[in-house]
Amino acid sequence: MERSNRTPMLGIPALGLVTILSLGACAGADPASTAASQTANSNWESVLAAAKGQTVDLWMYGGDPQGNAYIDNVLAPAAAKLDVTLRRVPITDTKDALNRILAEQQAGRTDGSVDLVWVNGNNFSTGQQAKAWACDWVQTLPNARFLNPTDPLLVKDFGVLTGGCEAPWHKAQFTLVYDSAKLSDPPSTFAELFAWARKHPGRFTYPAPPDFTGSVFVREALYSASGGVENVPSTFSQSDYDRLTPALYSTLQGLKSSLWRGGSTYPRDQAELDKLYAGGQVDFSMTYGPATLTSLVDKGALPATTKVLTLDEGTVGNASFLGLAANAADSAGAKVVANLAMSPEQQAAKADPQVWGQFTVLDVSLLSPADRALFEALPASKVVPPYEVLARNANPELNSGWVGPLDAGWRREVLGAG
Amino acid sequence: MTDLAHPFRQPRPPGGHGWWVLPALVPTVAVLVGGLGLVLSQSLGLLPFAGRPNPGLDAYRQVNAAGELGSALVVSLGIAVISTALALVIGTAAGLAIQRRRRGSRAVGAAAAVTVPVPHLVGAATMGLLLADSGLLARLTGSTPGTFPAFVGGPSWAAVIAEYAWKESAFVAIVVVASLRSRAAQYDEAGAVLGASPWQRLRSLTLPLLAPALIVTGTISFVYTLGSYEVAWLLGRAYPQPLSVLAYQLFTSTDLAVRPQASAVAAITTAIAAVVVVIGSMLLRRSRALR
Amino acid sequence: MRPLRWLRSTFGVVGRLGLVLWFVVPLVPMLLWVFANRWPYPSVLPTELGTDGLHQAVTEGVASAMGRSLLLAAVVALVATPIGAAAARALTFGRVPAGRLVEVILLAPIAIPSFAVVMGLNIVLLRWRVPGLVGVMTILVVAAIPYTTYVMRVAYLGHDLGYEEEARTLGASPEAVRWRVHVPLVLPALTVSAFLAFLVGWSDYIVTLLVGGGQIVTLPMLLGATTTGTGNESVVAVMAVLCVLCPLLLFGAITPIRRRSQPTHSAEIDRPVAAAELVGSR
Repeated sequence: MERSNRTPMLGIPALGLVTILSLGACAGADPASTAASQTANSNWESVLAAAKGQTVDLWMYGGDPQGNAYIDNVLAPAAAKLDVTLRRVPITDTKDALNRILAEQQAGRTDGSVDLVWVNGNNFSTGQQAKAWACDWVQTLPNARFLNPTDPLLVKDFGVLTGGCEAPWHKAQFTLVYDSAKLSDPPSTFAELFAWARKHPGRFTYPAPPDFTGSVFVREALYSASGGVENVPSTFSQSDYDRLTPALYSTLQGLKSSLWRGGSTYPRDQAELDKLYAGGQVDFSMTYGPATLTSLVDKGALPATTKVLTLDEGTVGNASFLGLAANAADSAGAKVVANLAMSPEQQAAKADPQVWGQFTVLDVSLLSPADRALFEALPASKVVPPYEVLARNANPELNSGWVGPLDAGWRREVLGAG
Repeated sequence: MTDLAHPFRQPRPPGGHGWWVLPALVPTVAVLVGGLGLVLSQSLGLLPFAGRPNPGLDAYRQVNAAGELGSALVVSLGIAVISTALALVIGTAAGLAIQRRRRGSRAVGAAAAVTVPVPHLVGAATMGLLLADSGLLARLTGSTPGTFPAFVGGPSWAAVIAEYAWKESAFVAIVVVASLRSRAAQYDEAGAVLGASPWQRLRSLTLPLLAPALIVTGTISFVYTLGSYEVAWLLGRAYPQPLSVLAYQLFTSTDLAVRPQASAVAAITTAIAAVVVVIGSMLLRRSRALR
Repeated sequence: MRPLRWLRSTFGVVGRLGLVLWFVVPLVPMLLWVFANRWPYPSVLPTELGTDGLHQAVTEGVASAMGRSLLLAAVVALVATPIGAAAARALTFGRVPAGRLVEVILLAPIAIPSFAVVMGLNIVLLRWRVPGLVGVMTILVVAAIPYTTYVMRVAYLGHDLGYEEEARTLGASPEAVRWRVHVPLVLPALTVSAFLAFLVGWSDYIVTLLVGGGQIVTLPMLLGATTTGTGNESVVAVMAVLCVLCPLLLFGAITPIRRRSQPTHSAEIDRPVAAAELVGSR
């Protein structure tokens, strides 16, 4: 029987599912829903069976060695135990994967070379527009029951309903870092940060939108210039844009002359800003993926005295997901891998700062005590505070409809002008 | 020589018939017609990524209206002209230095040979490590942050030009050496015997001899620089963008509707490059006619 | 007279030194970063040496990426060189209708940004289910044809058909003329054009990425993805050195053939003797 070949790891959720179902049955749940759950269980069995022997291509950003190591050394062996070969395809930009899916769709291919993509935000919404993502599959994953169904970061991805079209993978928080050796009295609000930049010309800058990190910095500045996150409606409308952005652009314009190189140019992307920061050219850097900070400081790529800047008004948070291409060749295997990536064991392993340090998407209160202990036993990072501290006062992301106009407006008003 | 058995048959040309161009010509035409045709169709709105075809020049108008096209043209052409000119001058000097076989010529030859196989991506990375604000040159000169000239990402695009000039000069040097190999030595000797000074020999004998090679490599360098992406992206600045970076950014933009604009920029770049190639070809004809 | 000559020769040596520095200095940072575990600003030299970069490059799969790059580049060279040489010879000596137009067409791939071609062709290749590797090779061969054709064109312009004519007069068969007279005479140029075609295949980035569909991870693709991360300078340097080393070794291997001087006999009397030597020597 197939069940005897299952690894204990997968056996636990299946067993847990059966236990919960039987408890539900004891509490008087109607036979129809029990039957439905059992159908779901057997559907998952058939997915597992179909996935055997498949090779899943996971397209993800290749510039993070820790991420690459996690996939190659932790997730891929775990997938191999389920007879699924996980192959990591390194890319420079998630858009490359999306372009690939769209190109193959346009050519009418159903055996796409892209299976899973590490995606969120605009790339997800662009794909949704073009129907690039398979939908209604996340809720069929057994490990999906560990997700909080009302978690705003998981229900909407940059304001676009995820709708079961992408499986949650990590959570992240927009983080500013500074060199504590150069700053003894760091600013504690955004306004104070800009005041500091004016007092120390040439020691602060930010990546130019449409870079991912630069884009979120401009959105943060919009929150600050509008007097708080509650003053900015999350859905985009031209009238709100016209009402709120003059204050934003005039602030950034006024800041320009105090920036690095007098604001005549900006770092092309976050990596370039990191290089400036590491090279002592500026005193601040920023990232939307604080998971990488620990290993970068360990490696010496960032100064050892790097610290995270905690802002009173909080910063923007988001979740990133695994998207399944609509025309994927190995969709059963991809579903198995996505489920595996969401399992408590993998999420805990991934959250270890020495492995990758990515925050979990699971609701810890929904886990079994044994699984909860995995998370409690995680070592602390010297650089990054625990997620609860980092995500205090976390602001929601704006709807992705804001991103394009803000980026274009920035280029026009702040970059192009003068 | 007349073939007496068949007096009216055309003699076989010494190089064979022209059929031998076909193995090169057929794939080239197929790839070019396919690629260009589709890009042109996309730019004219005939093959949208999503939605209905909308034939017209909208894409061209939109990309021009954003204001980025004009600055992109200036930047791209400026980089191409300056880097090609530098590459031709330095490459010719290097080629002559190698070919003359004086003391140190071998070193120059080896140095140029090492540079030729460096891919542009690698060249950009290493040039960045050298010329960045916290790069090797900045550390060697001991300059404090903010005082080192902005080679990388600066308004002069100096690092981009330097990388193209550096790589292309090696290419020019190699071609110059290969081109001089067969006849230069004898002409040079003849000129020296007749009493011409080295400078006269260079101007009147060597350079005209090199003219076809220089025209060809100059044209190749120019159009390659115009259409190259990696170097301008790694070492350039966010605004203004050269044509290749602009096209790539439009193509990978999150807004699918701007893809025809990317095709439009690609079509414009191709048109400029085609014009340059035609000019180069005409110059080549003329230089050969003068021989 | 003497001081002027001294000045000129010193100027020459300084000039040659300057040229050497021009070509070599940009490569220095790359070499220094290979063994640098830590090299913070503003240190002039790495503060900590080690092999971390090498280890990480190996775990990132640099060996298999190199193998794939080698295969791709070799195929491009082996295909593009003969067809380029044949086209060049036909254009120089044969009768090609609309020769000027043909010449322009063969040069055209350089005039077109490769990403423009790939953007258009991608859809066609996908629809016809062309395997990724074949698609990349085809486009790169077409990209290499201009280089091979024109290097051979330049070579044929200086090529003296008299040797072949003499050999034919002496009674050699067409095959003997081709392989014993023609090819040896243009072999230096052939190796240069093969090397250039190899480079086109070896250093390509965008075509491999877009057409190959991520199934073909070549060395430039791996390098491109690694460059965009933070703190990867050492790994990038290792990959960069490997990316340069292979073609460099190849270039060194073909140097003896490349350097072989072409016959300088220009006198009418010497040519038949030289041709006879070439034909009869094997």
